[in-house]
Amino acid sequence: MLDQQTIISSGNEAAAHAIIDIGYDGEGYYPITPSSEVGEYVNRAYAQGEIDLSFVVGTSELAAISTVAGMAIAGGRAVDVTSSQGLLLKAEELPALAGLGLPVVLNLATRDVNAPLNIKNGHSDLAATLGWGWVTLCAPTVQAVYDLNIIALKIAEAVNLPALVAYDGFHTSHANRRIKVFTDRRAVREFIGPEPPRRLSLLDVKHPHTFGPYMNDDLINTKVLIDQKMEKALKLLPRIFEEYAQLSGRRYQFLEVYGAPDAQVALFILNSAAEASKVAVDRLRQEGRSVKLVSPTVLRPWPADTILQTLFSVDRILVAERVSQYGANNYLANEVGAVLQRSADHNLILSRTYGIGGLNFYPEDAEYLFRLALNFPNVPDHEKRWKGYYQAWAGDRDARPVAKTAPISSAEVTRNAGKDRVDLRELADMPHRIEKHSACPGCGLFSNLEMFLRGIDGQVVFFFNTGCGMLVTTGFPSTSFRVPYFHNLFHNATSTATGAIEMYQRLRRQGKMDDEITFIVVTGDGGDDIGMDQVIGAALRNDPMIVLEYDNKGYMNTGGQLCYTGLLGQRFTNANVGPKQKGKLQHHKDIVEILRGTHAPYLFQAAESNFRDLLMKARKAQKMVREGDFVFGRFFSPCPLNWGSDPRMGFRIVDKFAPVTEAIQQEVDRRWRRLVEMDANPAL
Amino acid sequence: MLEYRLPYQDGLGFTNILLTALGGDGANMAAKLLFKIAVEALNLDGGYDAKYGSEKTGTPTDVSIRLCLYGTPVRESGPTRRPHMLSVFRETLVLTQNLVAGLQADATVMVNTTKGPSEIRELLRLPSGKILTLDATRIATETQSRLNMPMLAVLAHQLGFPGEIVKEAIGKQWPRAKEANLAAFEMAVGRARSERFEPHPEYPLVEPARVSSPVGYANMLNGGAIDAFSNISIPERGAPPLGRVPVFAAEHCSHCGLCLVPCPDPGAIVYCKGCMQCV
Repeated sequence: MLDQQTIISSGNEAAAHAIIDIGYDGEGYYPITPSSEVGEYVNRAYAQGEIDLSFVVGTSELAAISTVAGMAIAGGRAVDVTSSQGLLLKAEELPALAGLGLPVVLNLATRDVNAPLNIKNGHSDLAATLGWGWVTLCAPTVQAVYDLNIIALKIAEAVNLPALVAYDGFHTSHANRRIKVFTDRRAVREFIGPEPPRRLSLLDVKHPHTFGPYMNDDLINTKVLIDQKMEKALKLLPRIFEEYAQLSGRRYQFLEVYGAPDAQVALFILNSAAEASKVAVDRLRQEGRSVKLVSPTVLRPWPADTILQTLFSVDRILVAERVSQYGANNYLANEVGAVLQRSADHNLILSRTYGIGGLNFYPEDAEYLFRLALNFPNVPDHEKRWKGYYQAWAGDRDARPVAKTAPISSAEVTRNAGKDRVDLRELADMPHRIEKHSACPGCGLFSNLEMFLRGIDGQVVFFFNTGCGMLVTTGFPSTSFRVPYFHNLFHNATSTATGAIEMYQRLRRQGKMDDEITFIVVTGDGGDDIGMDQVIGAALRNDPMIVLEYDNKGYMNTGGQLCYTGLLGQRFTNANVGPKQKGKLQHHKDIVEILRGTHAPYLFQAAESNFRDLLMKARKAQKMVREGDFVFGRFFSPCPLNWGSDPRMGFRIVDKFAPVTEAIQQEVDRRWRRLVEMDANPAL
Repeated sequence: MLEYRLPYQDGLGFTNILLTALGGDGANMAAKLLFKIAVEALNLDGGYDAKYGSEKTGTPTDVSIRLCLYGTPVRESGPTRRPHMLSVFRETLVLTQNLVAGLQADATVMVNTTKGPSEIRELLRLPSGKILTLDATRIATETQSRLNMPMLAVLAHQLGFPGEIVKEAIGKQWPRAKEANLAAFEMAVGRARSERFEPHPEYPLVEPARVSSPVGYANMLNGGAIDAFSNISIPERGAPPLGRVPVFAAEHCSHCGLCLVPCPDPGAIVYCKGCMQCV
């Protein structure tokens, strides 16, 4: 066995530790909770000069995985991390990587795919990948996250397929445990192979190849290849597991089985919940119950023969999944059933969905499920079903909601129309369209938005991108919005608004809609990285909406990661400061200049520090949008949480900002001179 | 390695500790440090888990540490539901959170408050055990340290962690605030008031809460929509979650409206988070 040291690590840190020990050539990165930290730890080591890898922060998940594809086709070892809808945004590229035979590794800190939005655990992201041709390993513990990352690259390169390491978001990604890691990185490198096995490379100019051709009738053969590689992986994995056990003392297998070998009842369950279930197995066996736990470490290739051997003599199997396949039996229940039809026994298979949205799964929960299987069908009526939900609740059917507020009439919120000058006191009395929220003290978003809304008359409908703004206002079952509001995930608000505006205009034309509505999109600066194309689309179509970007110079809802709006040298959790990296390497993105190319009628910038200007811009924005034009406004918005500033400084930071570095000042001056020239020369 | 005895052991061999605080109080860092000491200096094992969501400054959050002897399998994930030791960073949490649910008999409870142990016992409805109270906010202010320091000090003391080891770890973790932190540490241990409470028929043990609410699948609106009329978050007068709040003196008000300009909180005259931008 090799020398190892004890460290305290979270699941995300363990993934990063493995990435660092392996010595990847590159990482493509885009943040999404709960996997974001992996790239942050890797970048920290990079900034400190501890490792040499290309670390590229993409504009989206799709951009990040495409960068990884580029690294891999150029012969590099490349890795990425993701969760939930981040995985789905990559989805275009993921089956392609299998088809192209690129042995990259993707860490998946699982999180439910959903709307209404929940950022916690669920396996619907993992379930979506099952048919994409990826070798898939499940890590139930923090230790396994480290180990399986190393094993994943080894098997991926052995068969030329991409590999995925799935571990539970929060339950494992954020669990801190005592684990063992190799003392000497070179040992890991030796196990993996110092250099990747030879494969075709895009950079081989002496022998050029065409990668990613167009293919007609031949395509079906590429599918055969993927399946053959899976079969090969099935043969190789036991050998790799054994080799790794020799080095580490930790032995992995296709299935983790715990309990009575000849058990009559089995619980089939993935990842962190399987660990908790072991406690239940011990308790039930002390009672004399014949039970065992079966948890697959390898999901793809599906170890059907091993599963058959392990389960064929078991009378009752409860397959508990952190995912549901609606209107059908759940994913693994079906797969277990398909394996067991080869057994002569008629095993009883129950399917239950549990733990979605991060509901914790404790030993008591496993005990409940074991007892359900033991006693079936002598169980309460609501449990007498093949498929069901555990931990869901019906609610109080007799509860009668009491109205606490009434609609805002257009008259109450019309304070600007027809007036050249307005009295601040009169505007201060205007009813709030957004009520109490849980933003951090001193958050600039709501100061800006509140002030802007003072200048907007009449009915308003909001669209929010994902970010602090939506999170602190709409925690179910409460809402801060007295007016209609729609959050349609991440970066989609502008296009969503376009759809709603089309329907609004249609109803107006048909004479079915009396109310005049101003449509306002609210997004963070991050929403306009990942959603840049959609903003440009709305501007090019000149859709009559006001898009407001609160620019706090980072992805502040997800822990302060790099946004392209960030300043040169600004430190982010994924753009660290050290001997090898000085924070963000480029100047700040100028979104107004980007949008100028769309020739949108009105683009503005504002800040709460200059509220008169902000109010005038609000009034002008509404005038423009009423005339059928697209409006984009950018607010400079303090984030005391991630700027580490005193909340009371708030708008004063914006007003009397701290001196900036010379490099930033020069760039700002350069951009300003350009604007002055454009102003002096209208033809520009 | 030092000889160390865990103060509690459940059926699986764990001491369960829960820290309940507001986002920004530093409970996470305190728990992380204690766990590090437990593993590295005392050769214990266990886990450190938080109730993660997307907590912002000032919203309630939990962190848990579970400690066991090295060699005991660590299998559960997520925060403990059955704490033996409870550290409450804000008195308001005693009133607003169901902290007694899952709390074990003969528990050790530490509360940042100006109230005394018996008053807290009644508010908390503690079944039995020891309550320590201290004005951690005052200690943090006086020493220019942070709230997590006095709370960490009392918890480490109750755990029986050797003071020198804890102090050394604090110095290493926050080298720049070492003096202030150590001053807070010393002051906290000296100032905590402690009282033991026997079981009382009016304060029974309470099972851990199950996740549930009046709105479930039987009465949820299509797509999980929220009816604005009945579910609006209206500002209510309440204790400020963090620090100080400005006092509104109507007789001195000139009705210029300027204080409302930077205010991020609608209805802040009633409910203020204390960012102090308006003063």
